[in-house]
Amino acid sequence: MAYSRTPEPVLILGIDTSCDDTSAALLGLDGGRTDVISSAISSQFEIHKKYGGIVPELASRRHIEMIWPVVEEALGDKKPEDLSAISVCIGPGLIGSLLVGVSFAKAISYSTGIPLIAVNHLEGHLLSAFLEHTPEFPFIALVVSGGHTSLFKADGFGRYTGLGRTRDDAAGEAYDKTAKLLGLGYPGGPKIDALAREGNPKAIPFPRAYLGGSFDFSFSGLKTSVVNFLREQETIPESSRAGLNDIAASFQAAVIDVLARKAERTMIKTGIRRLVVAGGVASNSALKEKMSRMAVKRDAELFIPSPKYCTDNAAMIAFAGYHHYLNGEFAGLDLNAKAYLPL
Amino acid sequence: MLTLKSASEKETKKIGERLGRLLRPGDTVYLYGDLGAGKTVLVKGIAKSFGIPEKEVASASFTIVAEHEGTYRDKKIPFFHIDLYRLEGGRDAWEIGIEEYIGGHAVSVIEWAEKLGEAPDGIRVNIEVVPGPAREIIIEGVNEKDWDNRKRGR
Repeated sequence: MAYSRTPEPVLILGIDTSCDDTSAALLGLDGGRTDVISSAISSQFEIHKKYGGIVPELASRRHIEMIWPVVEEALGDKKPEDLSAISVCIGPGLIGSLLVGVSFAKAISYSTGIPLIAVNHLEGHLLSAFLEHTPEFPFIALVVSGGHTSLFKADGFGRYTGLGRTRDDAAGEAYDKTAKLLGLGYPGGPKIDALAREGNPKAIPFPRAYLGGSFDFSFSGLKTSVVNFLREQETIPESSRAGLNDIAASFQAAVIDVLARKAERTMIKTGIRRLVVAGGVASNSALKEKMSRMAVKRDAELFIPSPKYCTDNAAMIAFAGYHHYLNGEFAGLDLNAKAYLPL
Repeated sequence: MLTLKSASEKETKKIGERLGRLLRPGDTVYLYGDLGAGKTVLVKGIAKSFGIPEKEVASASFTIVAEHEGTYRDKKIPFFHIDLYRLEGGRDAWEIGIEEYIGGHAVSVIEWAEKLGEAPDGIRVNIEVVPGPAREIIIEGVNEKDWDNRKRGR
């Protein structure tokens, strides 16, 4: 056993400022029970929308403005002195954004003496299913978001093996870039998902990059195909061009086929029939359907967190931090944020 | 100025690798070209020439800056892969402090250099999609003699 469970109740404050949301959460843990007491998020969606993507400098400035109120909201009537530990996401993410959360957490830790815990954002996503479910180990985890597309085998808390990751674009990034090409605006995921429901996923045979037997992903070629397809469309009469619905549906099918097939192959290869799908793209309706069908076919258990825990949140950071807490893995005040941080 | 043709990802990567061998610490490469032109592929090639595994280099659109550890003549050097895709352009790019990543001992490659407006001195590479579909890769700041003389550099 990598850790021993402490019987006494623990109260952990989680902080995540890795991208465009300022989030803080309070988690109460008591043996096997996990209670999300609060999960406060200040979204920067409106700020970045007009730019068609996240502007790092604007994001850090907004984090600085919002970190106090968001942490206060999460704490509610609790005081910093009541905390057992502060768990903060140190990366991967936007460096300027991460620094705000890390510096803030260090300041609380320094002024109150409360222990500080460093958490990898990907570990947070990987364990996010535990906020609502209790998947048993081992399980396969697919973390799929705007910045990540990674497959892991989880054998226990802190025991993760990376099986594959994207060689170029993340799945969510392919959505955002394709949406921009189609003139749909930002963020691309929900817009393409909605349009795709009205379209034919078999209308255009966009390529699926299975990369042989590898568990890595590649979505850059798909993006290039969409570019090429749209260029060709411009050369034919408007009346015979493909509809946006069909393009969206066909693009989405190409992404989802690859994600589902890779997850399925991983389960077959490892013999593990338990799958966690997490990260922002995990709330995509077509992906959920496809994964559910695949899980039924494979007689596998499937865990997908509800949307509020799929997107970036601090509750998952607090939960991941709890297990470092039990192991006595604390960070010093020399803790620093890292933009690139493999799990 | 050099004009090269590439018919595949593999060729683009090779061109990147060859370009990489002409670079020295302190050099910056500015990359221009549309979505899907193959900019990240070229970066993979450049990175490879500094001993960075291809697998380690993915799109940097999300984090804007990805830092890798490269090797130049047996010495460790920082290799910065910068992607300005998400930025609005103009002041944005300078406001995130990209000058911090240019020069010194580092080799930096900047995708979507269009967003910088006027780029400072350095090597400029423009990747154009041409019928084929193939890619025309125009390299400014490297002369033909250096390109052909493989003995120079590493």
